[in-house]
Amino acid sequence: MQAIEARSENRLLEFIKGIWRDYSVVVVFFLIVGICGLAAPRFLTPGNLLNILRNTSIVGSIALGMTFVIIAGGIDLSSGPVFATAGAVLIFLQRMKNPDGSPALPLAVAILACCAVAIAFGFLNGTIITKAKLPPFIVALAVGILARSVTMYICRGATIMGNNVPQFNQIGSGSVFNIPIPFIVVVVMAVLFHILLTRTKYGTYVFAVGGNENAALFSGIKVDRIRIITYMLVGLCTGIASTMEMSRMVAVAAATSGSQYEFEAITTVIVGGTSLMGGKGRLIGTIVGFIILGIVNNMMIMLNISPYLSGAVKGAVILFAVLMQRRER
Amino acid sequence: MSDPVLQMRGISKSFFNVEVLHAVDFEVQKGQVMGLCGENGAGKSTLMKILAGIHEHDGGEIVFRGAAVRRNPTPMEMQNLGISMIHQELNLLDELTVAQNIFLCREPRSASGLINFKRMRDDAAAILEKLGEKIDPRRKVRDLKIAQKQMVEIAKAISFNVSLLIMDEPTSMLTSKETKILFDLIASLSSQGIAVVYISHRLKEIIDIGHSVTVLKDGSLVAVKDVAEVTAQDLATLMVGRQVQTAKASDFAGDPEAVMLEVREVTDDLLKGVSFKVRRGEILGFSGLVGAGRTELMEVVFGMRRPKSGSVLIEGKPATIRSALDAIRADLGFVTEDRKATGLVGCRDITDNANYVSWLKTPGVFKGRARSLANAKRMVDRLAIRCSSPAQLVSNLSGGNQQKVALSKWLLSGARVLVLDEPTRGVDVGSRQEIYQIIRELAAEGVAIVIVSSDLPEVATICERVIIMHEGRITGTLAASELSEAKVMSYATDVGAGESNAGH
Repeated sequence: MQAIEARSENRLLEFIKGIWRDYSVVVVFFLIVGICGLAAPRFLTPGNLLNILRNTSIVGSIALGMTFVIIAGGIDLSSGPVFATAGAVLIFLQRMKNPDGSPALPLAVAILACCAVAIAFGFLNGTIITKAKLPPFIVALAVGILARSVTMYICRGATIMGNNVPQFNQIGSGSVFNIPIPFIVVVVMAVLFHILLTRTKYGTYVFAVGGNENAALFSGIKVDRIRIITYMLVGLCTGIASTMEMSRMVAVAAATSGSQYEFEAITTVIVGGTSLMGGKGRLIGTIVGFIILGIVNNMMIMLNISPYLSGAVKGAVILFAVLMQRRER
Repeated sequence: MSDPVLQMRGISKSFFNVEVLHAVDFEVQKGQVMGLCGENGAGKSTLMKILAGIHEHDGGEIVFRGAAVRRNPTPMEMQNLGISMIHQELNLLDELTVAQNIFLCREPRSASGLINFKRMRDDAAAILEKLGEKIDPRRKVRDLKIAQKQMVEIAKAISFNVSLLIMDEPTSMLTSKETKILFDLIASLSSQGIAVVYISHRLKEIIDIGHSVTVLKDGSLVAVKDVAEVTAQDLATLMVGRQVQTAKASDFAGDPEAVMLEVREVTDDLLKGVSFKVRRGEILGFSGLVGAGRTELMEVVFGMRRPKSGSVLIEGKPATIRSALDAIRADLGFVTEDRKATGLVGCRDITDNANYVSWLKTPGVFKGRARSLANAKRMVDRLAIRCSSPAQLVSNLSGGNQQKVALSKWLLSGARVLVLDEPTRGVDVGSRQEIYQIIRELAAEGVAIVIVSSDLPEVATICERVIIMHEGRITGTLAASELSEAKVMSYATDVGAGESNAGH
C-alpha cells in the first residue's frame, strides 16, 4: 500500500517536473501576471494590458525571426541598426510629395522597400557568415555599425519627420475590435513561423544545422542556404517591426531608432527557452518571452521605478532565464 | 595470487530512477590486467566512472589498497589515491603543450610562485622516456598523431603515481602497429605492479593481454574468468547470453557485369590513381591501416572532397558529383565513420534523423508528419532499434542503436550504393551481428555495399571481396576465399604490393 502511494506520489512529481520542463516559461508567465496584479491594481485593466501588447509587439516581431537565427546556431547583432536604416528608407519614400501635395509613391511601395532593405541586410549578413566562414557575432556587429552609420549619413544625424496621414499612422496606432494592429500582425507572423519551424522541411533543417552542422552537410542539406535564409527571415521581421514603429512615430531618429532592439530580441528568445548553443528552441517560448518582457517594462512604469534601472532588471531576467535552462540540463 | 588492490562490493547505481548497476562486485589484484567486457549499456563505463570519482554510487562500498574510499569522492581525490582513467574520447587540450597537459592543474612551481616550465618539461620528458616514447614535451598536442596523444594520456595517468589504470577502448583509434606498442606498455606497467582495467569490445585483445576478465550484462556481474579458460567466442556468448554465430563470407556469386559504381583514377594530395568497381548486390571491403586514404576516397565518391582528377560512373554512366546532395540524387549513401561528428544530430529525435535524406528526395515544402513518423517506426522495427519511441532523442541511445539510426537514414533514402565507414566502431557484439545481418539483406536486395573497416575479423565475416590500400594506393584485391590476415597485412604494409596487379 505504502509502495503504491510512494509510486503515485513519484508519478505526480514526475508529472509536475514534466510540466515544468516543457512549459516553465508559461508557469513563470502566470506567476508574473499574478504578482503584478497584486502589486499594482491598475495593471490588470484592459487598457493597460492592450497597451503592453502594443508596445511589446515591435521587439517581439524581431524576436520571431531571431529565434530561427539562434536555433540555426547564429546570432544577429545588426537588427537594431538595420531597423533604423529600413525605417529611414520608409520615411524618406513616404514623405515624398507631388507638387499638388499628394504622396508621390503608394504607401505599399514604401513599406515593401523598407522590408526589402532589411532583408538585403540579412542576406548580406548570412552570405558573409557562411561563405567567408566567419563568426556570426563579429560579422553582424560590423554590419550593424555600418548600417547605423549609413542611417546617420542619409538623415544627417537628425530626426526626420514623415508625412502624418491617418492611413499610415493607423498601422502602428490603430486597433481592430480594440486589439492593437501590431499585436495582430505579430500573432499572424507567429502562426506562420510556427508552421514553418515545426511542419516544413526547412524548419527541421534549421534545427539540424544548429544541432550538428557536419552531420547536416553529410546528409546533403544545403547548410549555407538554410543559414542565409534565417538571416533573411530576421531581416523581414525587422522590416515589419520598423514599419509598425515608424507609422506610430511618423519619424525616424537616426541615432536612436531601434537602439538596443537587437539585445532585447535576443533576450526575448533566451527567456523563451531557446538554447544559444543552437539546435533547440521553440517559437511558443519566444512569444511568451516577449510578453513577459513587455510586462516587466510596464511594471517598472506602474511601480514608479527609475527608468535608469530598467537595464538592471532586464539583466537579472536574462540571468534567471539562463540559470533555469542550465538546471534543466 | 590474492593481493587485491581494489575491491568494489555490491555497487549499485541508478540514473533517473532506472537502476543500471545491480549490486556488482569487482575485484582487481596488484599488477593484474583485468579485462572488462559487456555489451553497450551493460554498465562497464558507469562502473569505472564510479571508480574514477565521476559518478556517485547509490549503494555498496569501495576498498582501495586496504582502505575504504569515502562516499562521493572527486576525480582529483581518486587520482591522488592512485586511480586514473583514460577515457575513450581523449581529454587533452589541443592548444597546450605535451608537458602542460601532463601536469595540468599540478604545475610545478618555482620559489617565486610562478610555473617552473623547465622542471615541468624535464619531468614530462622523464615520464615519456619511461614509456619508451620519443615525444618532445614542448610540442603542442594538436600536432600529435592519435597514438601519440594516447601516449600523452597514459603519461598523464601514470604521473599520478598510479596503482590502478583504467583504459576505456584504448585501441579503437590505433593501427595494429600502435596497438602492439600499447600492449607492450601494458605488460610493462603490469610487471611494475600497476593494475590495469582494460575495457574493450575487441575480445581477442582482452584474451591476448589480460590475466582475468570480468563480464557484465544488463548491469549485473555475469562471470569472472581466467583468460586461459575462455575463448573470444565464450566471452561473446557470456555477454549476449546466447550463442553468437561467426559466419565467414563466401565469394560474390552475383552478376560480375552488373557494375553499379565505378571509380576511375581518382587522384588528389593523398590518393594516387585509385580505381575500383562494385557490383549490384556485392559487399566490397576496404582494408588497410589508418591513414591509407580509405575514408578520403569515400569522401571523394560522396562529393564531400574535390579530387584533382578522376571520375565516378554510376551504372556505367559518368556522374557529376560535387556535393553530398549530388551523391544523394545519384542514389548513393554514406554512413560516416564518426556518427557523433558527422552522422547524427544528437539533440533531435529518431524520426528527424531517419528522415533527413528522404525529405530531400521527396517533393514539397512540408515534412508530412504522418509519413515521416511511419517511416521512422518502420525503421525502428526493421533494424530493432531499442528506444522508448521514435520521439526519443538520438543522443540518449546506446552506440549500437545510434548506428542503426544512422543506417536508417540511408535505407529510407533508397540508396542503391551504400558506403559504410567503420560500421561497427563502438558497437556491442549483439548489435554488431544485427548490423551485419541488415547489410547482407540489403545486398540481397541488390544494393551495392562498400565497407571500410580496420577490423579484420569484421571484413572476413561480411565482405565478399576485399581491396587493400596503402598510402593512397590500392595494393591488393582478395576474394573472400583467398582472404587471410597475413595476406591483408602484407598488402596493407606494402610488403606484398609488388606481387599484386592491383586488379579491380
